Amino acid sequence: MADSWNTDTGEAVYRSRDAVKNLRIRVRLERVTSTSALSKHLQQQVLSQQDRGAIELETLTSQGDNEEELVMGWQEKLFSQYEMELFQNEAACQTPLDRQYHTEVKALNKAKGRRNHRIFTYTDHDRYTSCLPLQQLSACSSPTFLAERMASVRHRRQDRRTMDCSVPKSKIVNWEPTAEFVKSSHVVNNAMQTMHIMGDLAPPGRLGQKENEYLLVTIKTDGSGTVIVKPDFNKGKEPYRIVTTGEKRDVWRLTVENVCTTMQPEEKEREQNMYKDLYVRHKEYLNSLVGQDFEMPPIGILRYMMNGEIVSAKGFEYDNLYIHFFMELPNNWSSLPFQSLSGVTQTCRTKTLGKESVAFFSYPFSFEAFYMSEKESEESIPQWPVIYFKVLSLDSWQRFRTEGYGYLLFPAMPGMLCTLQRDGLLIHCALHAWVRIPSSSQSTLL
Amino acid sequence: MAELHIIGQIVGATGFPQSSLFCKWGVHTGGAWRLLSGLKEGQTQVDVPQTGEVAYWSHPIDLHYATKGLHGWPKLHFQVWHQDSFGRCQLYGYGYCHVPSSPGHHRIHCVTWRPLGSWQEQLAQMFVGGGPQLRSPDLVYSGADRYRLHTEAMGTVELELGIVMRHFDKYGVES
Repeated sequence: MADSWNTDTGEAVYRSRDAVKNLRIRVRLERVTSTSALSKHLQQQVLSQQDRGAIELETLTSQGDNEEELVMGWQEKLFSQYEMELFQNEAACQTPLDRQYHTEVKALNKAKGRRNHRIFTYTDHDRYTSCLPLQQLSACSSPTFLAERMASVRHRRQDRRTMDCSVPKSKIVNWEPTAEFVKSSHVVNNAMQTMHIMGDLAPPGRLGQKENEYLLVTIKTDGSGTVIVKPDFNKGKEPYRIVTTGEKRDVWRLTVENVCTTMQPEEKEREQNMYKDLYVRHKEYLNSLVGQDFEMPPIGILRYMMNGEIVSAKGFEYDNLYIHFFMELPNNWSSLPFQSLSGVTQTCRTKTLGKESVAFFSYPFSFEAFYMSEKESEESIPQWPVIYFKVLSLDSWQRFRTEGYGYLLFPAMPGMLCTLQRDGLLIHCALHAWVRIPSSSQSTLL
Repeated sequence: MAELHIIGQIVGATGFPQSSLFCKWGVHTGGAWRLLSGLKEGQTQVDVPQTGEVAYWSHPIDLHYATKGLHGWPKLHFQVWHQDSFGRCQLYGYGYCHVPSSPGHHRIHCVTWRPLGSWQEQLAQMFVGGGPQLRSPDLVYSGADRYRLHTEAMGTVELELGIVMRHFDKYGVES
C-alpha cells in the first residue's frame, strides 16, 4: 500500500508574544504494519460505500503498543522506559537534577505510573540535550564530514546559553580573538531553550534500550518570542515517516499538532485595554516632562526669528576672505537691546572647487525682531529687514581690500533656503526663518 | 510645549584632502530646550573608502526635543578628523549648521574649515601633520570671537535630516 509521506522536515519559525509556557503540542506516533495498512484500506472502502448500505465491517484497530498519542507542554519532562529504570536506582544519581528525577520516578511508581509509553521528552536541563544530533529523521549510515562539523557547530551554539544580548559599551573590539572565539562569533547567537520529544521505537516488549530512541520533534525558543519547531506541524497534511534501523526495519508515522488553547475574547479585550492604558499613561508622562507653557510675544506684535548660516563665498578674485554683515531694520521694527545686529566671520583661505575658488565660513547667526504696526490703514504691507554684506580680503601685509557688496531681503515666507548672487560673486546663505503671530485680531497682516 | 523630532543620518563627507575620516558631532540648544530621548552627541566610525573619495558613515541621529520657546534653536556642530595608517588623529575641520526649521526631508551640506597657523606651522603640517585646534570649540557657536581666526576651507559633511514638528502652530509659529 503506497502511502504518501511528507518529506518536508525543515524547521518552521513561529513568532508570538505570549509566554512560551502556554505551548501545547500533540504528538501522534503510529507504527505502519500490515494490519494497519489493511485496516486503513478497509476503512476507506467502507466510507466510500456507506450510501449503498453495504456490510459494515468492524475496523481492525491497531491497539496497544503500536500507536500512541500524547499532549505535552513546554519543558514537561516525560520519562522513557530507560530513564525510569535508570533513575529508580539511587546510586546512579550524580547531579541534583538526577536526584530530582529520582524522587519523581519514585512518586510515579507509587502512583498509577507514567502516562506516556513510547513518547518521552528531553528538556533543557538534561544532559543528553546538547549531545543529540538534530538530523535523525532520515536514517543514514554514517554522517559525512560536513554533517559532523555542522553537528559540532550546533553543539557549540547550544552551549552558549549565558550569552548576553546587550553589547558592553566598552570593549566592543576584541583585539586578540582566540580561534574558538572566532569560530563561535560568526553568526548572531541567541540563547535558545531546547526541548526534544523522543520516541522509543523498539519492537513491542523490548522498550528501554538506548539504541531504539529516535528524535521526533525539536522545539527551540529564545526569550523574545521566536519558537522554532522542527519538523513543522503537519495536522491535516501527510504524516512524517520514521524508519528504524536495526534488525527489523519498521516504519512509523508521526503527526505533530499544535493544540495551544486560544485566548478568550474577553481576555483579549482586557489585554488590549491594559496596553492602551499603559500607552496613555506613558504619553501623559511625556507631556508632563514637556510642560504646558510656551514663550509668547505680547499681543499685537509680530515676532520674527531667523536662524541662518553664512555658508561660503565663491568666485572672488583674491584669497583670505571674510564677510562683514549687518542687518537693517526699517520703521516699526524693533529688536531687543542685547541683540547684535552685525557680525564678522573668520578669515578663510580659499580652496579650488571645480573651476572656482571657494571659501567656507559655516558661520551660524540668529536674529530676532519685533514688528508693531501702529496704523493699519496706511502701510498694510510691512517692510522687511535687510542684511547687507561686505566681502573683504586680507593679504599677507594685513591690508584690507573690499571685494564686493550685496544685500538680502529677509524672506517673508518661513523656512526658506536662499542664495544671493551678484555679478558672478556668489554668497550662499541658508536662512531658516519663521514668524510668530500672536493670537489677536491685528495679526491678519500675513 | 512644542516638540521637535530630528530623525536622520550623517551620510558622509567629501572634499577632504585624505579620506580616512571620522566625525565627532553634537547638537547644541538653548536653555528652553529639553532633550526627551536620543543621544545628542556622538562619534562615527572611521571610514576608509575603497573606491571614490566619499567617506560614508551613515550615522543615525534620532532626537526628540521639547521646548518652551524659540530661542536657542538646535545647532549641529561637527569635527571631522583624519586617522592615518599609524593611528594618529589629525583635525580636518569644524562645521556648524542649524537644524532646519521647516518640517520635511532636508539634505544639508555643512561646510568645514580648519584653523591655520603661521607659515612655519603650515610647513610642519605638510610634512608631519597635526596643526592648531580650537581650545574650546564651544566659543565658536555664537560667532562673536570668530573674526580673530585665520582658517582655510576644507570639505563638506553631508546630512539627511527629517524634521517633525508638533504643536508649533498652536502657539502661532509658522514654519
